[in-house]
Amino acid sequence: MKFSWLLISALAVSSAFAQQAEIRKSLARINNTAQEFNYRVPWLPGAIGGGSGTGWAVAKDRLMTNAHVVSNARLLTVEKEGDPKKYVATVEFIAHDCDLAMLKVEDKDFWKEVKPFPIGGVPEIETTVSVYGYPIGGDRLSVTRGVVSRIDFRTYSHSVMDSHLCIQIDAAINPGNSGGPVLQDGKVVGVAFQGFTGDVAQNVGYMIPTPVVRHFLKDVSDGKYDRYVDLSLTTFPLQNPAHRKALGLPDDDRGVVVTEVGSASVCYEHLMAGDVLLKIDNVDIASDGLVQLEGERVILAEVAERKYKGDVVKFDILRGGKPMKQEVTFKVPFPYTHQANSYVPPRYVMNAGLLFQPLNRNLMAAYQFQNPRVMYFFTHFVDDELYKDRDEAIVLTALLPDPINTYLDEFREGIVESVNGKAIRNMKELADAFEQKTEQLVIEFEGLGRPLVLNAADVEAAKERIRKRYNVQREANIAEGIE
Amino acid sequence: MKRNIFFAIAALATLSLHAEEKLSVVRVNITSQPWDFLRPWGKKQPTTKRAIGAVLEGGKVLVTGDLAGNAAFVEFEAAEGGRKVPATVEFVDYEANLALLKTDDAEFMKGIPQLAVAESSLGDVLTVWQLESNGRLLKTDGPLTTAENFAYPVDGAFLIYRMTVQLQGRDSSFTLPVVHDGKLTGVLMAYDNASNNANLVPAPLIQHFLKDAADGKYDGFPRAGYGMSAMRDPALRRYAKVPAEVTGGVFINNIAKDGPAAKAGMKKGDVLVGIDDLAVDQDGNFPHPKYGKIPAGHIFSTMHFVGDTVKLHILREGVAQTLDATLARRAPSDYVIDPYIMDKAPRFYVLGGLVLQEVSRQMLREFGADWLRRAPERAVYMDRYQNELFEDGPKKIVFLTRVLPTPATVGYEEVTSIRVTKINGVELQSLTDVPAALEKPMNGFHKVEFDEDPKTIYLDAAQVTAVEQQVQQQYRLPTLKRLE
Repeated sequence: MKFSWLLISALAVSSAFAQQAEIRKSLARINNTAQEFNYRVPWLPGAIGGGSGTGWAVAKDRLMTNAHVVSNARLLTVEKEGDPKKYVATVEFIAHDCDLAMLKVEDKDFWKEVKPFPIGGVPEIETTVSVYGYPIGGDRLSVTRGVVSRIDFRTYSHSVMDSHLCIQIDAAINPGNSGGPVLQDGKVVGVAFQGFTGDVAQNVGYMIPTPVVRHFLKDVSDGKYDRYVDLSLTTFPLQNPAHRKALGLPDDDRGVVVTEVGSASVCYEHLMAGDVLLKIDNVDIASDGLVQLEGERVILAEVAERKYKGDVVKFDILRGGKPMKQEVTFKVPFPYTHQANSYVPPRYVMNAGLLFQPLNRNLMAAYQFQNPRVMYFFTHFVDDELYKDRDEAIVLTALLPDPINTYLDEFREGIVESVNGKAIRNMKELADAFEQKTEQLVIEFEGLGRPLVLNAADVEAAKERIRKRYNVQREANIAEGIE
Repeated sequence: MKRNIFFAIAALATLSLHAEEKLSVVRVNITSQPWDFLRPWGKKQPTTKRAIGAVLEGGKVLVTGDLAGNAAFVEFEAAEGGRKVPATVEFVDYEANLALLKTDDAEFMKGIPQLAVAESSLGDVLTVWQLESNGRLLKTDGPLTTAENFAYPVDGAFLIYRMTVQLQGRDSSFTLPVVHDGKLTGVLMAYDNASNNANLVPAPLIQHFLKDAADGKYDGFPRAGYGMSAMRDPALRRYAKVPAEVTGGVFINNIAKDGPAAKAGMKKGDVLVGIDDLAVDQDGNFPHPKYGKIPAGHIFSTMHFVGDTVKLHILREGVAQTLDATLARRAPSDYVIDPYIMDKAPRFYVLGGLVLQEVSRQMLREFGADWLRRAPERAVYMDRYQNELFEDGPKKIVFLTRVLPTPATVGYEEVTSIRVTKINGVELQSLTDVPAALEKPMNGFHKVEFDEDPKTIYLDAAQVTAVEQQVQQQYRLPTLKRLE
């Protein structure tokens, strides 16, 4: 009797219930057995750890999740609720710059009863959304509700250096929620991806909105992820009346001035410092640097957000007071090769117990350098165009103590300038220079008046000794890493 | 000595009731008021410190330079009785951390015995003098354990004496005389409660300071102007072609432009093996008869005076040569970024609301003990590497330190902590170039250029003049510029 009553009440809410069941079937818990690289001991395979996250069916045979959920994966398994089987998954595309990834599961059984989620638009402020996922490692699905609080441009903490559109909601997003869908009216309106790391706010979660998801899907539709493009341009607002007058501009609150165009920028040779940008893709640029796009005032960089490699952006500019048009074709911008994240295998060269590594974000994190020269090279590599002299800054990060290097400690944290008089631009050149058959290796470092001198015969004699003493499994890795 | 005896007799005659000897010290009360390098139009709050000064020959009183820095008011207080008289700083050396004070009140100094200055040897038991509040002398003994080169508070390294001594807390703890055998052998400049270690400015520096000041013109401690690396590395010795029979020597890795070593013809890559008749070892030390091995820098700075000529024995490509170097001092103002600025007001120029200043380490230190991390990172970098970055100028780095919002600076509020390179096309060698550059506005505008984002901004020249009075009143600035 009691039973039938339950059935009736269930019937009354049948449509919502059916939807719930469908949602459950199209969600997966992702388990990642990962191996984190150790930038201080780069020849080691790294400690084995792991974590879990959430994935959702974005197509009839593809799952979407966050890049950080599947980074450094050695084995990925996925599980669905109500199915005891663990399925093996592989990463098809991974986009570290927008923290999204697409997974394949070969086993056809996994996809039975799976329905891809429809993808919606950007939810309105103050509307309610539901976050689906497996937070804090639980086996059962968890659903939390939140209100859309804010939509803005924000740093994505996976890569640290990329900013995209981001939606803040007042539901907590915990580890394990990552990669899960945020739904409204049965459609995905975002991918849960990060919480708030400070201690001033509570109950704040962030999701990747669908323009970013669609951007990723379109980018990979040709079978390859090209990454976000970037204008690599610095501009300055033109709000000061004298500044406007001096540049011959009318008092119409339009235009920003270009302050820097690095030689690695896609805009190089198209735009110059001093150019006044009036329009981008025929849309007016306001004097505070904002443009009106789809009813919203957004920053100039967001125009590039909607573009892909090979796309063109059009500028209306004033150069020396004369109106001109410029077209810029997007390529992959430079800074990506400079600033990596922990998903990149460490590159290094070891010689005579001296460990040389390229300077990037991972290295900074691993060594916590305080040396002002190293900090300068890291911080200003792009804006001071330090890349003109070198493709990467190479740091002598460590010395494995041995008689051959016992008097060389003053070179620690030095930045390599040249070997035997030849300027060194990258790790490959350094490795090649070490292969030279010269009697002496003379290594000069930036700003150090004393060279590091190694006698070739001593280096050869020390090689096996150091290898054994410190269990150095491989003396160089210059090939792997970010392309 | 004779005078001492004379005074002692006189004291006995007049104060026969006192069996105790008259003390060779006075209390020194110094109120210092440094300039505020982040608000360069004003001075900071005055602070008063007390110390015990050693009375030296001629009735002059010796304390640390640290204490005398930015002195606004100095007074002497009798050790007993508390009588006070105004005094002045006669000579101060902030690098060597010494200051000589005097009073015009001859009556006050009368009868105070004067201390001679003498070096001590390692192991000697030294006595630190403190005063009880009733004027009684408190003597605490401790051994001189170490004589070594050590970083001084303001800039550079000099010899210190280090002694172990268990001092009692007393109100006059800044600067204490340290005595051996009845002679002043050091001035206590730092004391660590936990380890009971005291660092002293040692007699050799005091003697140098006094001798230099004796002619009424103070020149300071000279330097040779080179940097060196230790040369224990056999590969480096071979590279520099040092003959096997030569055991010592250091690798010269840096030569200060226009410094004594540069003028003597010393070059990067030379191997310095001796100075005058003293051999320099692989670590850059020489054997001092009293203190053992200490860095060769001591020879230039403390064993010699500005203007002395020393012989630098070097090996260049393995061949022995001797260079004659005439020693000189590099004053802080001779640096692009002054390592310190004491007793002087910072230069500044308020241009329509843009506050322009010259970068100095004094300014960077305003960011606190961890200024290396908290001060504008570009400025810290420029300071650290100034010798390599600015070999060909400019003389000083002009910095936009802040923007006071005014009608002329609307939209520029966020521009801060960047280097100004040009105004109206004129390259700035220092802040004093600013007024002349402003005399030639371009089409009625002042064009201000920076070496980084936003590169160029403009101010309306007429508006800058028009808002001057308003800026001054609104922000209560005593003046809009100070160029000297």
